[in-house]
Parts: sequence; C-alpha cells; structure tokens
Amino acid sequence: MDIYVLGLAMVPARKRIADERLEEIVFSVTRAALDNAGVERAQIEQVTLAACDELDGRSISSMLLAMPAGAYLKDEMKCTDSGLTGLCLGAMRLASGDFDLGLVVSWNKSSTAPFEDVMRMRAEPFYTRPIGLNAAIADGLFASAVAAAHGISEDDASAAVLTQSRHAAHNARRAPGALPSASGIAGSPYVAVPLRQGHRAQVTDGGVAFVLASGDWLARHPSAQPLARIAGLGWSVDKYNLGRERLSSLGSFRDAHGRALAMAGIYDSALSVYELDSQTGYHAAAYAKALDAVDPDAIAPSGGPFAQNPYFCMGLINAAEAVLQVSDQAGNVQRKAVGWAAAHGCYGYAQQGNAVAIFEGL
Amino acid sequence: MPKQHVAVVGVGQMPFRTHHADKNYVELAQTAAQAALSHAGLTPDDVDAVVFSMAPTQFMGVNDCDKWASEYVWATGKPFMRVSTGGATGGSAFQAGYQHIASGMFKCVLVVGADRVAETPDAQHVLNLIWDRFYEHDFALNTVTMTALAAQRYMHRYNVTEEQFARVVVRARRNAAGNPYAHLTKQVTVDDVMNSPRVSYPYKRFDICPRSSGAAAVVLCDEATAKRAKCGRPAWVRGATGISHSVFMGDRMTYWSDTEFADHDGFNLCAKECYRQAGIIDPLHDIQVAEIYDPFSTFLFPQLESLGFCARGAAAAIHDEGGFDLEGGILAVNPSGGTLCTNPIGVTGLVRAADAALQIMGEAGTNQIKGVHNAVATAIGGSTQFFTCTVLSDDHS
Repeated sequence: MDIYVLGLAMVPARKRIADERLEEIVFSVTRAALDNAGVERAQIEQVTLAACDELDGRSISSMLLAMPAGAYLKDEMKCTDSGLTGLCLGAMRLASGDFDLGLVVSWNKSSTAPFEDVMRMRAEPFYTRPIGLNAAIADGLFASAVAAAHGISEDDASAAVLTQSRHAAHNARRAPGALPSASGIAGSPYVAVPLRQGHRAQVTDGGVAFVLASGDWLARHPSAQPLARIAGLGWSVDKYNLGRERLSSLGSFRDAHGRALAMAGIYDSALSVYELDSQTGYHAAAYAKALDAVDPDAIAPSGGPFAQNPYFCMGLINAAEAVLQVSDQAGNVQRKAVGWAAAHGCYGYAQQGNAVAIFEGL
Repeated sequence: MPKQHVAVVGVGQMPFRTHHADKNYVELAQTAAQAALSHAGLTPDDVDAVVFSMAPTQFMGVNDCDKWASEYVWATGKPFMRVSTGGATGGSAFQAGYQHIASGMFKCVLVVGADRVAETPDAQHVLNLIWDRFYEHDFALNTVTMTALAAQRYMHRYNVTEEQFARVVVRARRNAAGNPYAHLTKQVTVDDVMNSPRVSYPYKRFDICPRSSGAAAVVLCDEATAKRAKCGRPAWVRGATGISHSVFMGDRMTYWSDTEFADHDGFNLCAKECYRQAGIIDPLHDIQVAEIYDPFSTFLFPQLESLGFCARGAAAAIHDEGGFDLEGGILAVNPSGGTLCTNPIGVTGLVRAADAALQIMGEAGTNQIKGVHNAVATAIGGSTQFFTCTVLSDDHS
C-alpha cells in the first residue's frame, strides 16, 4: 500500500483525565500529530474519526468532536468499530486516489463512561441481555473457552499479565499507577470464572491521532520524512453468538492477521514487533499461541493494554507504538532492528471483531 | 481519480413503515441485503467486505447493533465496519463502500443498514441528547427546533412563505405514491399541510418526515465484477465527497462566518468538489435527477441552490412553477418522494443513493425519468453540519 504515516501523537496516558474536557483532549492530540508530521491543518484533505457514541456519552458525539479533530470544512467520516478500524478506513480513503493527506483520530475517556452498562446494552434484547451479559462475562466465557481448547491455565493467564506488565514498566508512555503482582492477581476476586479481576487490563483515558500521506504527496514534498509505510491491513468479524467454537477458534483474529500479512507480502517470522490488544491475561496467552510463528519476545513490547488502555482506541494506540518501533523512536521499549511491526486491535463482545495493521520501516 | 472504477449493480429496499412487527432488527437488514444481492445476480460469496450503515443506536436500543446484524448480512469471516455520521450516515456509508473498492483493496462490497426509529417512544428526545448536556438539553433543542431556526432565517432572507414549503410536501407525496417502498403516500393539499398541527414555527406536522423502520442495501463492485453481475446498466460512482461543519449554529450566521447556516452551504464546498470529480460543468444541464435529503419541507430549496441548480433564493419560485416536477420541469427532484415521505435515519442517505442508482439503471418503475445520464444524491447529519454529495452516472469514461 502506497500510504505512509507522516506523524502521530498520543495523549499522555492517565487513569482519569479530570482537568480537560473530551474536546480539549481531542484537539490537543490532533494538534500534536500535525506538529509531529510538520504539516498544517489547512493541508489536510480528509479526516477519519473512530469513536463510540455510547462510550462518549453523547449521541452523534462527532458533532462536537469533529471540529477539534481538525475536520472543520473537511471531508470527514466516522467509523464506530475501533480506533484501528478507523486507520483501515482512513488509509483506504487515501488509497482511493481522491485524497493525498489525511488525519485519523480516535479517543476514549473511559473514566466518564459507565463501561459495563454500555457493554450490557450491546447485548441483543431477547436472549443475552436478560441473562446479564456484559464485557466481563463475555471475557469470562472467552477465558473458559480458550482454556479448554488450548490448555491455558489460570497460571498461564497470570503469567501473561505479569509479562506484559513488566514490559509496561519500561514504557514511559504508560499510565501512572501500580503494576500487578503475582500475589495481587491470585488474590483478586473472580469476575467471571475463570477470569479474575487481576487478569483484566484496567481501562484508562486516552487518545491518539495519525497523519497519513499518499506516495504521490510524498513525491511532491521530498523534504517530508514519513515514519513508516502501511504495508498491510486486515480486519474481520466473527459470529455474534458466543458459542464455544466462536470463542475458542480466534477466527476473526486469525483472518485479520492473515489478510494483513498477505497484503504486506511477508510471513509471521518477519515481524519484529507485534503489539497486541489483549484485554485479559487469557487473551494474551491465547493470541500468543495463535502467533506461534512470531518471536515471543516480539509480542507487546509496549505492554499493550497493561501500559494504557483507552478501550475503544487501544488498537490505534498499538499502531502508534508499532510505528514508533519501526521508526526507532520507542524509547525504553525500543527493540533492535525493527523492519516490520504489527499492531492489533479488537472490538465487540469477546473480540467479535479484530483488526491488524502491519508497518514497514523506511 | 480512483484506482478502480466503482459501480452500483444491485439495490435492495423494503417497504418502510412505522413498525415492522414481523421482523426483528437483524432480519430487516438481511431482507435488504438479500434483495440487493438478488438484484445484482450475485451471492454472499461474491462479497469481499461489508459496510454497515447505522446512525445513533439509541433509536432501537441495542448498542453496536451492527455486530448483532453482521452474521445475518453474511459478513462473518469478512472485513466489516460500521459508519455513522448522524443523518448523513447512509451517504457516508455508501462513500466508504466506494472507497473500499476505489482503493484497490476489494472488488465487491455490500453496503447495508437498517433502522427502527419508532422503537423509541420519542425520537426527538433521543435527538435532544445529541446536544450539550450543560447548555442545550434544557431548552428543548432537537432536530425539529434546530432546523426550524434555520428555516426562519431562510424565510427572512429570501421572502419564502409557509405555503411555498407546503407545496414541497404536496409534490413529495405525489411522487411517493409511485414508490412501492415509500412510507407516507397519502395525498395531501396545501390546505392540509397548512392546517396540520403547529409543531415549531414554521413547521406544521406535515412539514416533517415520519419515523420510519426498514432497511436498504446496495452492491458496489469494480468493473470486472460489474460485467458478470446481471445489471445491464450499472450506476457508476463518479463523485463522492463530504464536508463537516461546526456544531455551533450561531457561528454559522455571523458576518465573519465561512458559510451561511440558512443556506446549507456546506454543500457549496461539497458539491463543487463532487462535480469536479464527476466532470460536471453545468449541473442543471448535466444532471437529470436529484435525490435530495429533505426530512423537512424547508430543506429542499437551500440545497438545490447550494448544489448549483439555481440562484440563491430562486428555488421556491421555480418550485411554484413546477420546475422540479417529474415531468415538464428543469430537474426531476426526488422522484422517490424523498426523505419527507420516508426517513429510516440510519439508512436514509443510502436510500437516496439507491434511488438515484435505480434512475441511472432505468429501473425506477412508475417514477422513472427518461434519459437519465447523471443523478446526484445528498445526505445531511448532525446540526445540519455533515454533508455528503454523490454523483452517479451511466458512464465511467
């Protein structure tokens, strides 16, 4: 794909950002991404937003947030699946040939959203809502299914949390706060057996913005210095109903991963970094098994959601971390000689949807 | 210039009603998807990706209802995403589907959506929630009162009367009578409109669209796939643009404003670029059909003016003379009856594009306009702030 990341910015992660309104957060991160890219808003031709009305607490939240995201009198579109899906759409919009320079902006002020209420209302009203399905229970069902199918024990899940948390400890971009300990995980209550509270990544506030440019734009601006090429994109969706096969097969994850690899024209083994959106230790362990051809040390060097977890845009945060890796700007969590890096995002009940982006260093 | 030409080869709709008691949400979506694929002579296996069109989910009460519907529109194991830009959602979803293919990443995309606006007892209460909770919720701002403010300003600027808006309703109902999918088809007179209950000046009840339930879908594909679809006359996407404006209405009506709130003139920018893409030089000469997003009788005139079909302030007089009628006019406007007669909000913009495509295909039934080469479809969302403009054509060269 002849589309490039020209610049990016992330909101400094915090458990709760109490001193800024959401539109101020979105404005700040968009402004920072434009500065990072060295372009002005006037040069931007299209803006792609990725946001969730329900988590924003406002129907059509883009009414308020499109403008601080740079979209005033620009061609703007919003997708509601996840931040990383927004990157897929934004990149396609540029690749269509109708635009050369665009923004992708996503956010989640998780601290102000009644998270589990929003998730409960995602359940259809006939069967799953009456039984009280929410994100915790869906993740518990996922944990149970992958434990049975892939032999993932509670200790495996706890170890995966500790590994990602160790990575997060080195990440200067992580949200401040105590990291989990083995005893803390083991002593935490079950939220949905076999899932313990300590297995879950805690949601944080955050946001992220990318400036994307076409190859044609770069040819016309030879002094511009892109950070990475978007080499591969894949996204896919599973069935809605949470049957054992659906939960344990990681079907849409494998599909998205395969599509992104095929588009990039590489094999798993070429990936030096794989930033995973693993919302629980069971997810981390299950994805790692699915990525058995990827170097285990390449997985989630940033700490993933255990470093920061603005839930809706976590996949795009991962994309930012992956781009920092291929551009040798990842700081304390930088891996050596990263030529290709993948970023993963997931969304929907028990990760019904998955997206993967692969970036190539330049 | 797109990397691949993109065509509409299949359209699926269903009769829109206040309620569909015989189908749940996902069954509505499936009905439209099946109809569009059947129309195209294609199967779910031919579809590479799916774009779902759905605006605020609060209308029907299931967050992320698209994920519930995904399996029913045969999206499992495929790229699937939902697009939402308020009332403009259907227009944006259509354009996202176009961009999927124009990018070269996909060959055949299903764009589908469904809405059940009347599931909520009061849609305007939900639409009050689009506003700021601290400053705007409490003074009953919703889409009716919001657009009434713009209508009053338009009337003041251009000396347009309530009776002239009432004639828009009469013409829309007349056209809707020929559309088997239209929601409101009962014929009305200017007096009927003028005597219907006052809602918010200048609106009476008949100036306002219904709350519709139903679904719509289109099949978009590249040139090679279009050749094996059963569509004899594809509708090619020649222009696809959008403009996002400020949420703050007051900022759009000052001396220093970039555009004028009453004129819907986000469309000035949107249409200018869309026409450039499509090679449209003289809209009135080059375009034969306009499917305009008009949930209120007051939406038609400013849009037709901003789209370049007539001078600013002139649309009402032309309309009075029958200039936008299906026969004998200068432009056939909303042969389907438009949004005034059918408004399933999450898919309304998609319905506009679907109806425009049927006109290009020559399959619009009773209301087919003769000799249609180009058609324009619009959508509007948010605080009259999100605008989409799409030009379809019988020719992609």
